[in-house]
Amino acid sequence: MKNKTIVSISTPLGKGAVAIVRMSGDESLKIAFKFFSAKNLNAENIQPRMMYFGKLKLEENVFEECLMVFFKTPFSYTGEDIVEFQIHGGTLLAQKVVEVCLKNGACMAEAGEFSKRAFLNGKITLDKAEAIIGEINAEAESELKSSLQITNGRLAEAILTEQEKLKTLLAEIEVGLDYPEETEETKLKSNIKNVLTDIEKNIDNIIKQSESAKYFKSGINVALVGKTNVGKSSVMNALLGQDRAIVTDIQGTTRDNITESFSHNGIKINLVDTAGIRETEDVVESVGIEKSKTVLKSADIILFVLDGSEKLSQEDKEIKKMLTGKKCLYVINKTDKKREIEDFENEIEISALKNQNIDNLKNRICEMVIGEEIDQNALVLTNERQIQILKNAKSNLENILAENFLSLDILSTSLKALWQLLGKITGNTENEDIIDLIFSKFCLGK
Amino acid sequence: MEMERFDSIVIGAGHAGCEAALALSRTGNKTLLLTISLDAIAFLACNPSIGGTAKGQLVGEIDALGGEMGINADKTAIQIRMLNRGKGPAVQSLRAQADKNAYHQEMKKTLEKQPNLFVRQGEADSIGIDGEDKIVTTHLGLKYVAKSIVLATGVYLKSEIIIGKSRESVGPNGFKNSSNLSESLKKLGLKLLRFKTGTPVRLHARSVDYDQMQIQLGDEDVRPFSYMSDKQPENKTVCYLTYTTPLTHEIIKNNLDKAPAISGEIKGVGPRYCPSIETKIVRFADKERHQLFLEPEALDTQEMYLQGFSTSMPSELQLDMVRSCVGLGHAEIMRDAYAIEYDCIDPTELCPTLELKTIKGLFFAGQINGTSGYEEAAAQGIIAGINASLYNQGKEQLVLKRSDGYIGVLIDDIVTKGTNEPYRMMTSRAEYRLLLRQDNADLRLTEIGRKVGLVSDERYARLQEKKKKMQEIDQKLQKLAKIDQKLINFCEENGENLPKENVKFRELLKRNNIDIFKLDKEFDLFDESDKPYLDFVNTEIKYEGYLKQQQEDVEKMLSNEKTIIPENFDYTKTKGLRDEAVEKLNKIRPLNIGQASRISGVSPADIAVLSILIKKK
Repeated sequence: MKNKTIVSISTPLGKGAVAIVRMSGDESLKIAFKFFSAKNLNAENIQPRMMYFGKLKLEENVFEECLMVFFKTPFSYTGEDIVEFQIHGGTLLAQKVVEVCLKNGACMAEAGEFSKRAFLNGKITLDKAEAIIGEINAEAESELKSSLQITNGRLAEAILTEQEKLKTLLAEIEVGLDYPEETEETKLKSNIKNVLTDIEKNIDNIIKQSESAKYFKSGINVALVGKTNVGKSSVMNALLGQDRAIVTDIQGTTRDNITESFSHNGIKINLVDTAGIRETEDVVESVGIEKSKTVLKSADIILFVLDGSEKLSQEDKEIKKMLTGKKCLYVINKTDKKREIEDFENEIEISALKNQNIDNLKNRICEMVIGEEIDQNALVLTNERQIQILKNAKSNLENILAENFLSLDILSTSLKALWQLLGKITGNTENEDIIDLIFSKFCLGK
Repeated sequence: MEMERFDSIVIGAGHAGCEAALALSRTGNKTLLLTISLDAIAFLACNPSIGGTAKGQLVGEIDALGGEMGINADKTAIQIRMLNRGKGPAVQSLRAQADKNAYHQEMKKTLEKQPNLFVRQGEADSIGIDGEDKIVTTHLGLKYVAKSIVLATGVYLKSEIIIGKSRESVGPNGFKNSSNLSESLKKLGLKLLRFKTGTPVRLHARSVDYDQMQIQLGDEDVRPFSYMSDKQPENKTVCYLTYTTPLTHEIIKNNLDKAPAISGEIKGVGPRYCPSIETKIVRFADKERHQLFLEPEALDTQEMYLQGFSTSMPSELQLDMVRSCVGLGHAEIMRDAYAIEYDCIDPTELCPTLELKTIKGLFFAGQINGTSGYEEAAAQGIIAGINASLYNQGKEQLVLKRSDGYIGVLIDDIVTKGTNEPYRMMTSRAEYRLLLRQDNADLRLTEIGRKVGLVSDERYARLQEKKKKMQEIDQKLQKLAKIDQKLINFCEENGENLPKENVKFRELLKRNNIDIFKLDKEFDLFDESDKPYLDFVNTEIKYEGYLKQQQEDVEKMLSNEKTIIPENFDYTKTKGLRDEAVEKLNKIRPLNIGQASRISGVSPADIAVLSILIKKK
């Protein structure tokens, strides 16, 4: 039996400059080449222990540059084929790469599984065994801790609710299969299709609600505000790396909100440049202002662009007032000129014109929106697993619903697998639970 | 006194004991079958039927291994039905009403004719261990010695029958019970549990008003239980469906103080799937009526079994209760319903071979292991018999895996998880049930039965024939269906799209509205000799994708079963396992990592740690 190919992030999560995602198992290379490409490189001509520069395809039209190394069995840490990707640091990007591996056939590594395999394949000496056991237990414990955090939350409750619905349906189907004589009891009361459609819808909602999943999928919404002519469009262009909005010296050129997106460390960032916010009698511009206010509401973070070479104006102060209570970063532009403006608590100095400090600005945006949440290592690990489980569950449900030729034995087998899948999050997977439910719900027996 | 020596002794001649004794004697062991009463051999103490959901599969598996239950059921069936038709092939199960007198007589005849087998009436009082020898002493002081023993005492250990205030120390149906063996087992270090079960009233057939009931006929087109039987048993009788009434419920509710099961008089743990009528009425108070089945006990008797009416209420109340049911206003009770309490062992003290962990050569099978049901008992009986035989020969013993059959699931469940009520087999317990069907038990198990020496030449030849036929049928299905008027009509009639080009019949077969019989009828693909196998091939092809998926799951499971845990592995001296895991592992002593992972209270992290600890040794 072949060992399944496992994947995990093997560098500490957080703010390192480089992160490593590692796959181990017979299919590592095969899986890697499904989404990694480098010039003239393929699974046949790749040399072990050579570093290749190439591109990871994260999703349609989203690529990330990286370094890739292949270690051939038995000359690797685990003794199996290993593929490592060295990518830019940052938790989200690493998570995304893991997700791509999972999508292409790898499995999440269990706690300490790399070391365990290394040991079982004779790559680690006996005296290290104790250390590995400690590692496994520590990782299991931290997962337990974070899954407890999850379990207390609304999310887990929601998953549990869906799992319970599934269990009730299963018990109803099973009782019909195991007690066909009990005609009164075994008429299937629920409309299977309705129940499953409902569960699918709810799971889909849970996935959507899950915060980090949201950032993975739709990215971070960033609104740029600032009085006219402080260089919002230049900041936007600097972030995008090319000219998008028209930049002029005449006030109020940018009248419509412009949305553009770029990818930073695998996260999509959506930029909305708002029309200059100020009271105006110009009808065209006042429409733009209304829109801007709506944008502010839906933004995950607001970049308040200020001209560093001027003192805070009345208009700036009015805008500042509007932003109280919102997640906001003060972007002090035009640092190529002498600074006149006061200091702010949450600020970053850049020069859009000279392209200075733009990368740091990008990092600050990510940090402020999701940084705090994902810095708790264990929680992220569990989340990653959980989101993956939910996604699998959803696609399984879709498959079941799409199949119109399903006898009850097949259907219940598929549903039980689904129930057990959700149980990996909630921890409830004992088959006996279903049997218990059968006997508590139905009056059976001779 | 010179002790008479046998290779093996089987104690108890119920459904487990009979299979164990036959398996032993048929594999060349001089075997003593000791029973409290020769008249209780293979006695159907409760319902007069064999099979049913999951149990039908068990009978098929016992038969495929070379056991007797299926053959005996086919010989003595008086009505036969296929349950769960239309719910998918995995959950279809045969169920037969068996003539309870004939069932006993036929099995007794088979035992009596069996060379190497010595059937003897006598009560085992104690078991002594002398080195490798096991010595059985009977209540009359006779001593028998053997290398191995199979204990299959059913519900006879210190059993008590409870009816109202009456509590009698007797066995089922009033047979003598076993009063001393429990103590002997305790002396051997076994912990005993106290379980409970029950049986309903038997009524006189002439006292029943059938016009008020719904008749239940047998099926005319089903196959027999045994792969050795050629014809379906004839339907010679019918059953009836009737119901309790509000009056029945009122009588019971007004007399709950007299119900031993409710008042706390009965302490034994009863099965949830087989509750007494008073338990049903208390637990499901809002249910207006409960269904009851009336089944003939045998052709040569007027006794009718009232399924669904198990009770331990006082005798005089039982009559009022019965007479309040639909069509039973003038019913005559011939035998009272009763509850029975008995001693059994904790099955986690056994290896998956059914051998006691602490004493080599001592095997346990049937209700003594905390299970319930004739089929569950017989399934353990044949495995215990096979393993006692292998033990005698000094060969490696047989463990059926969860993917081999329901028998594997049953034994793995009880020895790994234990049970806190009499354990009944259900299809929902079998995670690979798509693969564990009645129609392929021979393909799964007959090779294994052959290897241990239980499968006759004829049975083996039948298996080879089936395999050959399967291939031939598959070959015939590889032929191309040409696009002509006939195919156009065929597709149209069945509401299927016409294939774009010529296509194999095998592919056509996978369409939702097409099956192998329709193909045969239209295109005349098969010979008469293919016919018995068509249904089977139809299932295998139509469900191909799902079967493959489940087979992959099995492969994954088996890779864990391959990592063997050393027999003398000392969990208490390990570092890194949690205390709870150490305690559980030490108690169950799993054979391999797979079994270890199924113990409740052992986490995946514990399993990872354990696999490292094993490697380290």
